[in-house]
Amino acid sequence: MKPRLVVPALLAGAVIAAAMLAQPAQHARAQAADAGAPPLPDVSWSFDGPFGTFDRAALQRGFQIYSQVCSACHSMNLLTYDDLAGPNGLGYTDTAVKAIAAQKQVADIGKDGQPIQRAALPADHFVAPFPNENAARTANNGAVPPDLSDIIKAREGGPRYVYGILTGFREPPKNVTMRSGMNYNLYFPGHQIAMPQPLQDDSVQYADGTKATLPQEAHDVVTFLTWASDPMTEQRKRTGAKVILFLLAMTGVLYGAKRRVWSDVEH
Amino acid sequence: MADSAHSPTADAHATGGTRRDFLVIAGNALLGVGAAVSLWPLVSSMNPARDVLAAGAPIDVDLSGLQPGQQIIVLWRSRPIFIVNRTSAELKKLQEPSDTGLLRDPKSEVEQQPPYAANWHRSIKPDYLVLVGICTHLGCIPEFTPQPGGSLGPAWPGGYFCPCHGSKYDLSGRVFNGVPAPYNLPVPPHHFVNDKTVRIGENPPNTAWEFSSIVQI
Amino acid sequence: MAVSQNKLVQWIDHRLPVFTFLDHELNEYPTPKNLNYWWNFGSLAGVMLTIMIVTGIFLAMQYDPNVNDAFQSVERIMREVNYGWLIRYIHMNGASFFFIVVYIHLFRGLYYGSYKAPRELLWMLGVVIILLMMATAFMGYVLPWGQMSFWGATVITNLFGAIPGIGKDIVTWLWGGFAIGNPTLNRFYALHYLLPFVILGVVGLHIMALHQHGSNNPLGIDRKGPQDSVPFHPYYTYKDMFGLSVFLLIFAVFVFYVPNLIGTDPQNYIPANPLQTPLEIVPEWYLLPFYAILRSIPSKLLGVCALFASILILFIVPWLDTSKVRSAYFRPVYKWVFWLLVIDAFALGAVGAHRPEGIWIVVGRLGTIYYFLHFLVLMPLIGWFERPLSLPPSISEAVLKKRGGGALAGAAATRAKP
Repeated sequence: MKPRLVVPALLAGAVIAAAMLAQPAQHARAQAADAGAPPLPDVSWSFDGPFGTFDRAALQRGFQIYSQVCSACHSMNLLTYDDLAGPNGLGYTDTAVKAIAAQKQVADIGKDGQPIQRAALPADHFVAPFPNENAARTANNGAVPPDLSDIIKAREGGPRYVYGILTGFREPPKNVTMRSGMNYNLYFPGHQIAMPQPLQDDSVQYADGTKATLPQEAHDVVTFLTWASDPMTEQRKRTGAKVILFLLAMTGVLYGAKRRVWSDVEH
Repeated sequence: MADSAHSPTADAHATGGTRRDFLVIAGNALLGVGAAVSLWPLVSSMNPARDVLAAGAPIDVDLSGLQPGQQIIVLWRSRPIFIVNRTSAELKKLQEPSDTGLLRDPKSEVEQQPPYAANWHRSIKPDYLVLVGICTHLGCIPEFTPQPGGSLGPAWPGGYFCPCHGSKYDLSGRVFNGVPAPYNLPVPPHHFVNDKTVRIGENPPNTAWEFSSIVQI
Repeated sequence: MAVSQNKLVQWIDHRLPVFTFLDHELNEYPTPKNLNYWWNFGSLAGVMLTIMIVTGIFLAMQYDPNVNDAFQSVERIMREVNYGWLIRYIHMNGASFFFIVVYIHLFRGLYYGSYKAPRELLWMLGVVIILLMMATAFMGYVLPWGQMSFWGATVITNLFGAIPGIGKDIVTWLWGGFAIGNPTLNRFYALHYLLPFVILGVVGLHIMALHQHGSNNPLGIDRKGPQDSVPFHPYYTYKDMFGLSVFLLIFAVFVFYVPNLIGTDPQNYIPANPLQTPLEIVPEWYLLPFYAILRSIPSKLLGVCALFASILILFIVPWLDTSKVRSAYFRPVYKWVFWLLVIDAFALGAVGAHRPEGIWIVVGRLGTIYYFLHFLVLMPLIGWFERPLSLPPSISEAVLKKRGGGALAGAAATRAKP
């Protein structure tokens, strides 16, 4: 049996090696201008691994940070308020979500055909801070704060990268000249980011009383953003476990069937 | 197996026992189950998505501008909803037995309305009528013709006239005898959140009724 | 010779002989009995094509091919459509797994000489299928209209501008405008929906060509009689189903646990921005070796020629290899040189993933040179000068010998089970 597995094993190893070789290219992109960028912070997350789930308390704290701090500049256009409720949500009830939505105003057309502002409904998408890209640029020195709906999937390094950005603001080293309006960040490619440091210790007062240190805030908002990038994560992993268990059983049975079918032939 | 002239399958059948059959049958069964289960997500994806369902959420309609004798039309779940402010004269006429004799289902026995609208005015408050404005014949939108007589003849009591095939309904949406339409106009779930606002798409608190139990929209 | 006693089956078969056809192809069709698991990959490819078409059709029900809505329509599928996330991740990872399977299937053919007479046309149809797959996959990657979709499309369509004289007009014609835009997206969508069915047709021809002479086998020698083969059903149907189950297990791990690991780039989760080029424009992994070949040649036109040559050269492999012996099993020199090609393919893939600077330029050029050297020089030369090992007289005798004895074949059958 063993010699026949050598070639497939070597090939599998080669494929994995190739996949790992291909990864640095993407890291290289993230660290394009500076070969000496530090490795991303090593943080562990409740959603790590095949059995990881979202810590609902962290999700709600993270949503609080998004609402109170980030949403001033960053939209999350792909999410609706009723995404916050339900089994794949943050653990809010429908009533709570109605109240959360109603705090925001949405542009709409009134009965007389004129533009009006009305309270947001749960079915509305998250209200954006700016009506369009030009308005966003004007308010932010020419830079556009990216939409955060998919930010974790859209950045190499995912949660660790965004955590790094939030906690990576520093005084620029002596030999670096900052361009006007830019801020020094350890993990941002090129180290010069247009966003000023958004979070400090006690930027928010948590509704559940948790102490709001910067690492805690960063951890919570990244948990929320990871959920926002892929709200179906938990259902996906649960379904995966069932599918894989079924396939393991079926593989075993089919192997036995194959052996049985072939038992009468020299091969 | 020295004599390999005959087909291995024949040999296999001869030597085969229950174990071979069990594994083979079990394997096929698992494959079948797997295939069938895999079809479900595909079929399910064709059902209305979450955002489509959310767009069918209840809507609130302001009635303060609606004069007696007038009708407004709003859209709920992509369908026209008639809201009529009926005059007291019209309401009196609706209760007259001579009119009810001409109707196919005067007592609203067929489930074309929620239980709280299974009455002569087919609504919660007699003043306001709420109907799904789709003819139960073949789906055209009936015209609001509340005036008695007129081009429909002296016997016309007032109600709805469908221009496609001539179906007629009274001012409670009840269908007349002798017209192609088989059922009364449907009444959607609704209730009054206050005197001047009606919410279409939601039953009154503590009532449960499925709009899908309507016989014919 | 009735296929079945069932009256309905007989009624249909008399008018449209599907059942006789299936009976012949499955129960009577003789398949060499010594096929190893490298022969599973053809049927796996067929299964992957089916999965891609089915998931693709259900995605097409929800996708909106307009530049203003395409990105959010895909996100809508992920977030709002029931099981949309599953269908999309299967389709996305399925493309990668389809290529993995087909590349292994191709290399199996190269190792065991499956392209040699009388299977030249079978092989060439396979190359046509790979070309169609590449076109389909390239256009499919454009549809989500992310940054990589847009810029990858820009770079690859610009390649055609290298054609002297008419190049620029061809590019404008491909784009349907002054740049990649809505007309381009719409036509890519139409073609992406069409080509898989063209692939299906070519696969039909591929299987017809296969059944003409039957499958090759690890020894590369022809079947001499019924003792060398078994009917396809149930022997290879069950072996294929087992192999499929193992494959689906690996596929499921990717779809459910690391769905964004291969086959997509984080940049493609950023909506396309015609005013901002990503730092690195990288095609999908299965196109990387060809991308490396393209970039390793400093001239734009010659680079494009090398790119197309690297695929088209596969068509003439049956004539480039001069060996009289099919299977590398009996070819002591070619056996090792084959693995050089495999390593070269991986190396070129890695080169394609990196920026063309430093060591990667050198590796890329060496890899490109070796690639063409392998086909144009080594294959003919080795075929002429190599001394192959002596071939066994027949498949069944080779199998018996492996199992340890001729006369005691019955005992061998029970003893030799691993």
